[in-house]
Amino acid sequence: MLHLICHLSQRKIAIVGGGYIALEFAGIFNGLKSDVHVFIRQKKVLRGFDEEIRDFVAEQMSLRGIELHTEESPQAIIKSADGSLSLKTNKGTVEGFSHVMFATGRRPNTKNLGLESVGVKMTKNGAIEVDEYSCTSVPSIWAVGDVTDRINLTPVALMEGGALAKTLFQNEPTKPDYRAVPSAVFSQPPIGQVGLTEEQATKEYGDIDVFTANFRPLKATLSGLPDRVFMKLIVCAKTNKVLGLNMCGEDSPEIVQGFAVAIKAGLTKEDFDSTVGIHPTAAEEFVTMRTPTRKIREHPPAEGKTDHDVKAAAGV
Amino acid sequence: MAAAAAAAAASSLTTPKLTFPSLQSLYRKLPLSFPLSLSSSSSLPLPKTLTTTTTSLSSRRPLSHHRRRHLTTRAEAENGAEASRHYDFDLFTIGAGSGGVRASRFAANFGASVAVCELPFSTVSSETTGGVGGTCVLRGCVPKKLLVYASKYAHEFDESRGFWMERLTGIYKNILNNAGVTLIEGRGKIVDPHTVDVDGKLYSARHILISVGGRPFIPDIPGSGYVIDSDAALDLPSKPKKIAIVGGGYIALEFAGIFNGLKSDVHVFIRQKKVLRGFDEEIRDFVAEQMSLRGIELHTEESPQAIIKSADGSLSLKTNKGTVEGFSHVMFATGRRPNTKNLGLESVGVKMTKNGAIEVDEYSCTSVPSIWAVGDVTDRINLTPVALMEGGALAKTLFQNEPTKPDYRAVPSAVFSQPPIGQVGLTEEQVMVIVLSKSAKRSLVVSAICTSMTGAIVFALQFQVVSLLPPLHPTNDIKPLAAASGIFVIESPLECKTATKEYGDIDVFTANFRPLKATLSGLPDRVFMKLIVCAKTNKVLGLNMCGEDSPEIVQGFAVAIKAGLTKEDFDSTVGIHPTAAEEFVTMRTPTRKIREHPPAEGKTDHDVKAAAGV
Repeated sequence: MLHLICHLSQRKIAIVGGGYIALEFAGIFNGLKSDVHVFIRQKKVLRGFDEEIRDFVAEQMSLRGIELHTEESPQAIIKSADGSLSLKTNKGTVEGFSHVMFATGRRPNTKNLGLESVGVKMTKNGAIEVDEYSCTSVPSIWAVGDVTDRINLTPVALMEGGALAKTLFQNEPTKPDYRAVPSAVFSQPPIGQVGLTEEQATKEYGDIDVFTANFRPLKATLSGLPDRVFMKLIVCAKTNKVLGLNMCGEDSPEIVQGFAVAIKAGLTKEDFDSTVGIHPTAAEEFVTMRTPTRKIREHPPAEGKTDHDVKAAAGV
Repeated sequence: MAAAAAAAAASSLTTPKLTFPSLQSLYRKLPLSFPLSLSSSSSLPLPKTLTTTTTSLSSRRPLSHHRRRHLTTRAEAENGAEASRHYDFDLFTIGAGSGGVRASRFAANFGASVAVCELPFSTVSSETTGGVGGTCVLRGCVPKKLLVYASKYAHEFDESRGFWMERLTGIYKNILNNAGVTLIEGRGKIVDPHTVDVDGKLYSARHILISVGGRPFIPDIPGSGYVIDSDAALDLPSKPKKIAIVGGGYIALEFAGIFNGLKSDVHVFIRQKKVLRGFDEEIRDFVAEQMSLRGIELHTEESPQAIIKSADGSLSLKTNKGTVEGFSHVMFATGRRPNTKNLGLESVGVKMTKNGAIEVDEYSCTSVPSIWAVGDVTDRINLTPVALMEGGALAKTLFQNEPTKPDYRAVPSAVFSQPPIGQVGLTEEQVMVIVLSKSAKRSLVVSAICTSMTGAIVFALQFQVVSLLPPLHPTNDIKPLAAASGIFVIESPLECKTATKEYGDIDVFTANFRPLKATLSGLPDRVFMKLIVCAKTNKVLGLNMCGEDSPEIVQGFAVAIKAGLTKEDFDSTVGIHPTAAEEFVTMRTPTRKIREHPPAEGKTDHDVKAAAGV
């Protein structure tokens, strides 16, 4: 990979895909001064992530020079006489790439394992089906990690593996706990998240308060770069529990880890607010958010209107 | 009705021109029930005469019964004679720094009429200069952090420091204006418990808030005129060639890192054996080692005696160990003192400690009932977010009818040294180390001079000590801070037993590793992380970290620790990979377990077990 890095300056790369792998490599190559073009099938990158985060990271990436081509599906790659590559999509053809990279998903490695013949059930894209204890459809066969396509993260695989060892050899049947699993995308700027997105929280909890902060970090005032930080807390209006926390900006993955402990344990906005900030940091914003940016309230059906009612910024 | 009767009764006891102090002493003589019945009439409408004569009485609701001082303040307003006294402002704040601006802004939002006075702006603070925004914004946290960035990334300031300081002070002025706070430029001085003099003009106020902060302190030794302080250090036109920094606290270390990053030749001189007194011992060792690896030269147990300027203009620093020559600059970061001179405090009766800090109670009230103080001037925990907390709590107490005590438990903090430090909760040493020596007949209470737990244990074994006090601050200072942090201060053998049950047994988890980035850079950077867990309750008592991003990382964990979460809560949280922070949720094996043997078993020494599995 390192020799590739040397080759990539002054080069032009097409990255097909809108997930975390595509974005991470887009940031890497862009940072190394390659000319980076990202082609995504969807309207936005990072499907499944909080909407505001999806918008924010795309904007930040564009500001850093990455060119985003949305709603474009790849149809063919053509190599020209001079060796450069062209990418043909539903919208046209873009030429002159030194490299075309596909980050269009990963599939479980289940071919030629003998699974079908022994009766291990799999999903249609080849993932092994398991129960809560990671047991397959064959009682003596178990599966953990990406091959089961649950949450494909290293620490989750570690959790699944550790739970299995306990189940099998400690006489302690242990289910991996998938609640409030934090994760990060090492795009530039990076993303850290834990708990529910705003969309998920609205569906599950109805009435929520959303707190956001969007600011220029101190370092950017020095560098003059257009970097910004976006931070978001989603709070259950009824119980005051913090349901989700999202952040996009420098150090997000490091910052979110500690808050993940708080959210996994079900702490409230009040617990956050009564914690004194560490100054000056970006992280302290999470404990100093006083005014909801919006309050989502669901009308009870009896009142006629059953739509969500999005109130404008209201004081707390 | 009762209010009017009470007011009438009060007015019959006083003459119209009573000054506050004598009224106060009068109420002290009255039975407690008198003011209580007055303030309990919160549902009674105030007589019209009282509401119309006082500017914002309608915005003042009765205070609760918490302290007689507060009741006295209110009762005095109910009194017909005092109520007719018109105050220019409900609150007059002296000092527009973090604490003062926060209190003033919130008070104004709660409906109070507020004025703030502040010295005219200058890049360097003095008896006559300051600036709206205060130390944090103009001469502390913000410029310091910018310089740390500059030293790391070799960025140059695009604009002069003076320019962005003025811009920041302008922003703070707008904040005050938007909140409806009257900003007065000048030097405020207290004339009496309800009057402030600002450059000759008098203003009266129901409450006065002192939030004048502190300033660097430089000891008066020969040549101290050549010395720069942190204010001046932030204002240097170019980086120093060779600098001596005297001091071992966070300011000294931060500047050492800054100048070292800018490629100055940095020498740090400290009186103690180690830097950062009061911090976790392992952190003290770790940060000193990391700083040395980066080229900073540390001179320990050296006290400055004189600064000599030679013919070529360079400076020499003479210490108890000798003289070091060739410095282009000598900086003293030898502490900060509250800015309480020439404020009129002595004459009005506001009590101060021996180093000039204003004494306050848990509600930030001074010894004078109408005078309050928050922030560095009170020398509690000198951090911006704490000043904000104190200011906000005061505004609630005074103008929301919600007496609010600032909460000093588990306050996180950071040192922006290089590498930086983040911490929250107790250090390993602060957790009670109680050594019960059953064989010792004498009950000897020792204010320990040991600076580490291991040292404390050794000391105790040697002298068969029955109990130890935490070896941190002078005894007379430690009690309030200890109580606020939930630490037992042991003063008798009887208390020893209880404290041991609470905190005696702890598990310490540490990690010391090379961060991923260092494997690329080849630099000798390392990261040190530490968790201190109460073995009995499994609560995480303290968290310390030294390494890149520590301050950002510790903030989230501070929420968990403040809320009293356990090691199990930490362990059941999945890690974010790959980060340094995930180490805190993946520490499985204690590095050491501190256990106290029950006396019945014979041996009564602490038995420090080596790394044992969990």
